[in-house]
Order: sequence, then structure tokens, then C-alpha cells
Amino acid sequence: MRSFFRNWWRLFVAVAFLVAAIQVFVRPSTALERTEPVRAAGVVLFRPFYSAADFLRGGLSGVWNRYVALVGVSRENERLRREVTELRERLHETRDAVLENRRLKELLSYSETVERRTLGARVVGHDISPWFRAIFLGTGSEAGIETGMSVVTPYGAVGRIHKVHPGLSEVLLVTDGRFAADVMVERSRVRAIAEGIGGNFCRLKYVSPTHDVAVGDRIVFSGFDGSMPKGILLGTVVSVDRPKESLFQKVKVQCVVNFQDVEEVLVILSRPSVPFRAVKD
Amino acid sequence: MLFALSYLGDSLCVWWLSGFVPWFLLPDFPFLAIVFSGLFVPGIAGFLCALPPALFREITTSAPSWTMFLGSMALYFASREIGRRFLLRSEPSLLAAVVSLLAAESFSVVLLLSLSGARPFSFLWGAQEAVRIAWTSLIAVPLFLDLSVRWRRVKE
Repeated sequence: MRSFFRNWWRLFVAVAFLVAAIQVFVRPSTALERTEPVRAAGVVLFRPFYSAADFLRGGLSGVWNRYVALVGVSRENERLRREVTELRERLHETRDAVLENRRLKELLSYSETVERRTLGARVVGHDISPWFRAIFLGTGSEAGIETGMSVVTPYGAVGRIHKVHPGLSEVLLVTDGRFAADVMVERSRVRAIAEGIGGNFCRLKYVSPTHDVAVGDRIVFSGFDGSMPKGILLGTVVSVDRPKESLFQKVKVQCVVNFQDVEEVLVILSRPSVPFRAVKD
Repeated sequence: MLFALSYLGDSLCVWWLSGFVPWFLLPDFPFLAIVFSGLFVPGIAGFLCALPPALFREITTSAPSWTMFLGSMALYFASREIGRRFLLRSEPSLLAAVVSLLAAESFSVVLLLSLSGARPFSFLWGAQEAVRIAWTSLIAVPLFLDLSVRWRRVKE
């Protein structure tokens, strides 16, 4: 018996590590939070590399934009692009506000769900593992970023802060399988749960066959679950399948943000409040 | 050398190439370093060699905290066992070992995610993952053969 264990102990250790990994995956332990300094030390090791990569990337694109591709045109373009971005964001807000007015929701006089205190952050890397969808930001806890904060661009939602280190934050993208949030169809106000399905897509869960959802509908976050600010655009519906044998419709949403190309994002520093939920003192 | 391979490889892929090269064409260098130390570096030296790449994987993968580290340690001990039981001198046996370890890891994460209710996997994803496994394994064979010769020379 002893010789059997002596022969195969490595395999037993491998299985023990695997079981521990599964346990931590399924039920993350709070005791592991004490080991965060080790992770933070590891992040520090990577900081010079991603800072250098970010600096070089910014420098190269800066040289190209400002000197090679005509100085005046480049600046003009930049100014116009900024204006378009601002106008687009204003348009999103206005469109949502108009719909709210139509439904006489102003009678309910509840306060704005989003306090728009934001922080610009640069994307410094992507999670290259096949199973998870995440990006890394070059700004971390020192700037006031906390776990659970929303990350957006003027075009729409990007994701949620998943982990924070000094000088580095990890954003769980809306397309990750672990992401879920309360959303609604902008036109018909049908509510559903959006869940990431990889690629650049999400699916809507629990949409009854009687609910009015059509291809091309814009999907916005409802803000009811407090996970994302209200009115932020998620994407547009690209397919609606109504299987006869199923209780729910199969709705596929293409995200408005192309996560592969995104370079700068906004972190909403205040967490969205949950409407209609009393605050406990 | 293994430390440099995993650090530089991971850094290049995550912080530099990930913006424009698709994920399935980016090899998992820390994975390769862990498997190499399991297959070819015996004793405590192999274990110590596997620790930094496991930490790199933990930091650069968006899994729940410490899952990737523990999973990587399991990977090290599994590859250590394979290294002890089988003679891995020929290319096909090396290729088979790396492919099976990559496939086993991928399958276990997919199974866990599926059991937890997430379904971010499609047919296209499967094809891409197959490309990643094939690509990483093909890189592993010449790399491992070269490194094992160097390691033998160091020992001599």
C-alpha cells in the first residue's frame, strides 16, 4: 500500500490541486482575499512591460497621426471626432429621456440612477485565454477604481470591473459567459436578462413569446439590478427565434462596442444606485 | 530561461499582440513552461520553475481568484507523472502529451463553466480552440526538444 502511494503521489497531488481549483472556482473563499498582496506583487512585475507597450503604442500612433498623416487634418479630425462622440452620447441620453417622458415616468420623481463621475482609462491588454473575455486597464486602485464599477464608452457598455490591483484593473466584458445584467428593449420596454455568449454577442434570457422583440431593436441596461447605469446601450438585436416547444424566445444581441478595437474607456466611479430600494442606515 | 520564456511570452501576447492577433493564434507560453518543467525538470527545481509561470497565468487570466494558479499546479504534477511514466524523446509522443494536457485543461474549464450555467461556447469557438491547441502543441515540440537538450547539457 505504501509503495503504491510512493509510486503515485504526484497524481494524487495533481488531483488534490484540481479539486481545490474547482472548489475555488465554484465557491470563492473569503480567506483567499488575504493572499491578494501576492497577486499585487505579481502585477508589479508586469507593470514595466505593459507601461512600455502602452507608451510605444501611443508614441507610434502619435507620430503617425500628427506628423506623417498631415498635421492640420489630423488635429481637425480629432476635434470633430470628439464632438461626434459627445453628440452621440447626448443623443443616447435624449432618446431615453424622451421615451421616459412619453410614459409619464417623471411623475415618479426618482433621482438619476447614474451620477456621471467618470475616469478615462487606457486599455493595456486583453485576456488571451479561450474561456474568459476580459480586458486590462492601465489604471487601478490608486485612482479610486473598485470592483463592480461599470466600464463604458460613449458608444455603449463594455463591462464591469472584476479585479483591481495597484496600477491595473481587470474588466469582465459583457460578452463573457459570467456576465449577466438586467436589460430592456428600448422601443417596447420589455425586460430581460442579458448574458454573454462570447464573440461579440449576448443573448437575452426569459423573453416570453408574447413579448414584443424584433430584429434591429436597441437593448439598453435597465439599471434595476444596480449592476450598470440605466440607459447605457448594450447593442442591437440580430436574431429572434421563437421555437414552438420552448417557453422563451431565443434573442441574440450584437454588442455595439467592438472589444477588440477599444483603446480608451470610461470607468463610472460611482456605483449605480438601485431605484425603489430603500437605503438601510 | 523558463522564467524568461514565460514572462516575455506572456507579456508579448497579453500586453502587445492581443489587440490585433486573434486569441487562438496566441500560444500560452506559461502553460508551455509549466509542462516543460513537469516533463523534463525533476525534483524541487521543476516545482520552483513552475511557480512563476503559474502566477503569470493567474494574473493574466480572468478566472476567479487563484483558480488558474491551483489549476496550473495540478497541470505541473500531472505532467510530472507523464514525464516519469513515459519516455518522451520522440516528437509524436511529445506532441501527444502536450495535446492531451491542453485538451484536458480546456475540457475541464468548459465543463465547469457549463455546469455553472454560462454558455459562451459555440461551434466556431470549438474550431478556434482546436486551432489554438494544434498551434501551441506544434510550437511546443521543437521548443521542448531544444530546451531538453540544453537542460541535459547543463546537468552534464
